[in-house]
Amino acid sequence: MDILLTLILLLPLAGGVINACFGKRLPRPVPVFIACGAVIGSFLAAVGSFSLAAGDGYRLVLFTWLKSGNFQADVGLLFDPLAAIMTLMVTGVASLIHLYAVGYMEDDSDQVRFFALLNLFVFAMLTIVLADNLLLLFLGWEGVGFCSYGLIGFWYRKSENAAAGRKAFIVTRIGDLFFAVALLWLFALFGTISIEGINAQVAGLDMTTITLLSLLLLVGACGKSAQLPLMSWLPDAMAGPTPVSALIHAATMVTAGVYLLCRMFPLISLSPTAMAAIALVGIATALYAATCALAQNEIKRVLAYSTMSQVGYMFLAVGLGSVSAAMFHLITHAFFKALLFMAAGCVINLAGHENDIRRMGGMRRRSPLVFWLFIAGILCLAGAPLTSGFFSKDLILATAFAHGDLFHQGLYGLGVVTALLTSFYCFRLAYLVFGGDYRGDELPHEPNGLMLWPLWPLALLGLGGGLLNLPHLFGGDSWLSGWLGREQDILHLTITSEYLLIGTALAVFALGWLLAALRYRRYVHRPGSVTAEFLLNGWRADELFDLLLVRPFKKIGRFCSQGVEIGLIEGVLSGTVRGCNDLGTRLRGLGAGKVNLYLHGLVWGFVVIVGWFLLRALI
Amino acid sequence: MIVPMEHLLILATLLFVLGLGCVMVRRNLIMILIGVEIMINSVGLVLVGASAFWQQVDGQIMVLILMAITAAEVAIGLALVVYLHQQKKSIDVGIFDEMRG
Repeated sequence: MDILLTLILLLPLAGGVINACFGKRLPRPVPVFIACGAVIGSFLAAVGSFSLAAGDGYRLVLFTWLKSGNFQADVGLLFDPLAAIMTLMVTGVASLIHLYAVGYMEDDSDQVRFFALLNLFVFAMLTIVLADNLLLLFLGWEGVGFCSYGLIGFWYRKSENAAAGRKAFIVTRIGDLFFAVALLWLFALFGTISIEGINAQVAGLDMTTITLLSLLLLVGACGKSAQLPLMSWLPDAMAGPTPVSALIHAATMVTAGVYLLCRMFPLISLSPTAMAAIALVGIATALYAATCALAQNEIKRVLAYSTMSQVGYMFLAVGLGSVSAAMFHLITHAFFKALLFMAAGCVINLAGHENDIRRMGGMRRRSPLVFWLFIAGILCLAGAPLTSGFFSKDLILATAFAHGDLFHQGLYGLGVVTALLTSFYCFRLAYLVFGGDYRGDELPHEPNGLMLWPLWPLALLGLGGGLLNLPHLFGGDSWLSGWLGREQDILHLTITSEYLLIGTALAVFALGWLLAALRYRRYVHRPGSVTAEFLLNGWRADELFDLLLVRPFKKIGRFCSQGVEIGLIEGVLSGTVRGCNDLGTRLRGLGAGKVNLYLHGLVWGFVVIVGWFLLRALI
Repeated sequence: MIVPMEHLLILATLLFVLGLGCVMVRRNLIMILIGVEIMINSVGLVLVGASAFWQQVDGQIMVLILMAITAAEVAIGLALVVYLHQQKKSIDVGIFDEMRG
């Protein structure tokens, strides 16, 4: 069993390394087989070792990575229920995305680099998931950041793609810094970086420390999960190839922040302030991103903002103290968001590589199959009854509702508003893309079979994923909560309020659909209003950051380079050089062989010496 | 002693300074040599004066040697001047700077 567990991690690493080192020399289809085989093998290993995780989980130390004094970092795997379910999701979704990528990247000449990075990306994410200590987790965390940089800027010949990659790297790096501070502080406090060790000892800490640590972790998670205020990289990350978007949004990267908070939940749950902060960040991001998604014109940007919004829900769930609700939504979201992105890739192909939904329309007639698959994803995202999105989102909102006090009621209210916006922009997208007649003038590129059939399992999982944690009201037994050992997350509401909540969710879904249908059933070209422009630019957040951070930073940089570097340092140096030169020139003049000069020197020197002695003698 | 020592020393100093001034100011090699001669003579004057003052003969012997050396020096010096004049058609000291020393 140990071997299986190790293979989960090792296979993607091996695949990535082999492809990176030898991929170029292998004949064309081999690197693709290696990449897909590695991830699928990893998935099978995860399935095989799943039973290990039951109860308290299983700990496997492979070897000691660093040891110095009382500091010890192992390369060790902690395969507990949380990690197991996450591993299964990551490897499963990543396998399907890899298969899809085979079809998507068929004609790309840099295929090998792509698949090597993709495998390493999965490896880094699995390191985060399986790490039993924070340092190893941090290693995976940075690995994810690096691979996302390489993949978002994959088509680096276009400078905006490279810029998007850089932006993702730098913005998440801000969060990483806070995470690193938290990591070091935890080590200073406890003398260990083992996740279990830290979580076992936190009860003894005083409240301020816990709150500060939790907030540091929160900022770290915000960076990776694209939450306010470190969210601006995610929409730009759409510059990468579609499978990368699917991977970032569904299986890896953005879920890492949520996972980190779930991992450190025993720590953060001790501080009500931090919990409230997490919930607030979550709901604010959910609302912000949902409003932004209303006005986006590119199909992938709509989906990007919807991811941000859904991850906001997950943060809200963590902030409400319900790990199982967060994980439930994380998993269902992974299914339907991977589905949506990959279907969007097919749609873009169908529209002749056109991203803009204003120039789409009528895609239903071009491919009914893609239409139904996409609609399955849309229904899940919008929270249509009995889909997985409905159950998971409802669980979060119901948890907020069940807390009962005014603060949480407010969160619930905002959550419902966000759900309404979500439903609205989902159906706006669906109507604009599939309804009416085709508005562009491109010829369709039929997506090939490999791009279509990985969508089927995802569609089924998306629609049926609710079974994972079916509430009692629908005859389920909340399996996921039980598996995670979080029975306290199971809600015990009165039947009336249960029906009330479900009714609200239904009404919100239907209302959003209705509004979208009224507005977008027939395409009318609308000149962009000020509000739409504002939302399109993500509340002008980029400009704000540019004004507040980027420009002052550039000014400081220019000051340092022009003022300090060129002016001060080079000035001093070249001044010294010039001084020495001048002195040399003058001294050389003394040795020019002029007899008169020597005589003058001799005589006046003599006069000075004699004068000096005379002066001494007189005084 | 007929002439007081102070007068002698003042005269010698004046001569020395005049010679020195000549050496410093003039650029003509011959004038410089003349300046040097004047300075040497002033030194000789002091030696003779001192010899008379202390009633000792050493100073006078010294002056005799000095005169001999001066004669030799002038002979060599003038020969050099002639040689240098042949080289450069000038006896300005400023021209002779090739040795940089």
